[in-house]
Amino acid sequence: MSHIIFTAKPLSRAVDCRALLPLALQGKTVAEIAAIKLAANLTVAEAFDVSVDVAIAAPQVTFKKTTALHHSIGFGMTAGQLSIEGDAGDFLGAQLQNGIVICKGSAGARAGDRMRRGMLLIEGNAGDYCASDMMAGTLGVLGTTGAYVGYGMKRGTLLLAQAPQLSATWVDCGPHKLPFLNILYKSFKLLDSRFAQISSLRVQRWMGDMGGIGKAEILVIQP
Amino acid sequence: MQLNGVDIDDTFAEAFNMRATRVLITAQNLRWAYNAANAMTGFATSVIGCGVEAGIERELSEDETPDGRPGVSVLLFAMGSKVLMQQLETRMGQCILTCPTAAAFAGIESEDMISLGKHLRFFGDGNQISKQIPDATGKLKRFWRIPVMDGEFLTEETTGMVRAIGGGNFLVLGTSQAQVLTACEAAIDAMRKLPNVVMPFPGGVVRSGSKVGSKYPKMFASTNDAFCPTLKGAVKSELDPRVESVMEIVVNGLTFEDIAISMKAGIEAACSLGKENGILRISAGNYGGKLGQHHFKLRPILSGEVTA
Repeated sequence: MSHIIFTAKPLSRAVDCRALLPLALQGKTVAEIAAIKLAANLTVAEAFDVSVDVAIAAPQVTFKKTTALHHSIGFGMTAGQLSIEGDAGDFLGAQLQNGIVICKGSAGARAGDRMRRGMLLIEGNAGDYCASDMMAGTLGVLGTTGAYVGYGMKRGTLLLAQAPQLSATWVDCGPHKLPFLNILYKSFKLLDSRFAQISSLRVQRWMGDMGGIGKAEILVIQP
Repeated sequence: MQLNGVDIDDTFAEAFNMRATRVLITAQNLRWAYNAANAMTGFATSVIGCGVEAGIERELSEDETPDGRPGVSVLLFAMGSKVLMQQLETRMGQCILTCPTAAAFAGIESEDMISLGKHLRFFGDGNQISKQIPDATGKLKRFWRIPVMDGEFLTEETTGMVRAIGGGNFLVLGTSQAQVLTACEAAIDAMRKLPNVVMPFPGGVVRSGSKVGSKYPKMFASTNDAFCPTLKGAVKSELDPRVESVMEIVVNGLTFEDIAISMKAGIEAACSLGKENGILRISAGNYGGKLGQHHFKLRPILSGEVTA
């Protein structure tokens, strides 16, 4: 399996990164990856420096020096691990099908939008509509979240280190000590992420979005 | 052959193919893990009347369990996969789901995965939550969180089912009931230190060994009169005049080697009390060798030969 590293070049335009997924790029050479079109008038080579390390066990992609202009990173990803050593734009991990996405910086709007499975971990802040229409999986944010958190969220877990501004369609289910967090945190410890430092099993549990089926949860970590 | 002055019969234990699974049970502390495990492995001495034979394999430290809490591992054995699946689900629902703070996890990997909490989740009445979380190897495991009155019941969706062996055994013959029981206790203490085996009878020891058939047509098993000390003069007895008590230790294990190693440890511990403490003979139960697929020959086992 290969670990593909994309180092962003300074650009003043938006870059759609949905084509750059760990599984889709397996077996491709640097030249083949560099020739991939990200838009009608933009190739990977124009937006990134690309390097490939083939000596790893699982498919992996790392983005470096990205900014809020790099949107749709991990969009529809189905397997592997994707790390972002920088910020990410809108739609980070949107429609995530499986695998792990770690963003060491902040993310734009609609992170985890319609996410169905897998894990999306944002170490910085998340923009508006975080976890909108999310169907399942786990989304974690260590920083702040913007407006309309969990809008239309159906199922899944949104784990927050800081209390969000929630709409009235989210209902407070009280503080709890949840045993499954032991297992979740144990899986975090295998990752190169600040999420590995979380240890509190005590969370404030909210359920919603009651505007829809209301089976999702927001867990706000308590000290 | 003698061990510490105790005669070792030139015979064998006859054992059968079974299906087995392992479940890891954790709780807030060991007291409640044992409460759950004892309930789950209760009334599980013999497949004849209980469906499964089960027992506690060992205690688990906090770093050995998936959720980092103290726990115990239990092994369950049945004659077929269908019965094992039925019994596991029933015992999960009545013994683990009901026990405060208890959680259950797969304790064995296999190509045959059977339901642990897969159907139990419906107890959540639509409020159950599925979580898929990668383990240390990156393999995704599915867990179910079921809301219950003490908080949440956490269970893994499936556990592995493997081929195993049940019915390894040996008999301890001695001059008094008290001495034989003491020898059996020593044997059980030694055998409980070993992995992959359980001794399903009360305290690991059975006093009512059986033979196939009965004078009563409806009974398919009855007391093993050849080893009943009070019938010595009346039936074709296997006992000499000095024997006043016989007890049996039955051991089920995941492999032939596991059972053989545990039988060796148990017999050596029982014999360590020696002839001077009233332990006279070690024998084994069999059906002439025609029913069971596995024969555990006492003398080769004690000589360290454990091949199937």
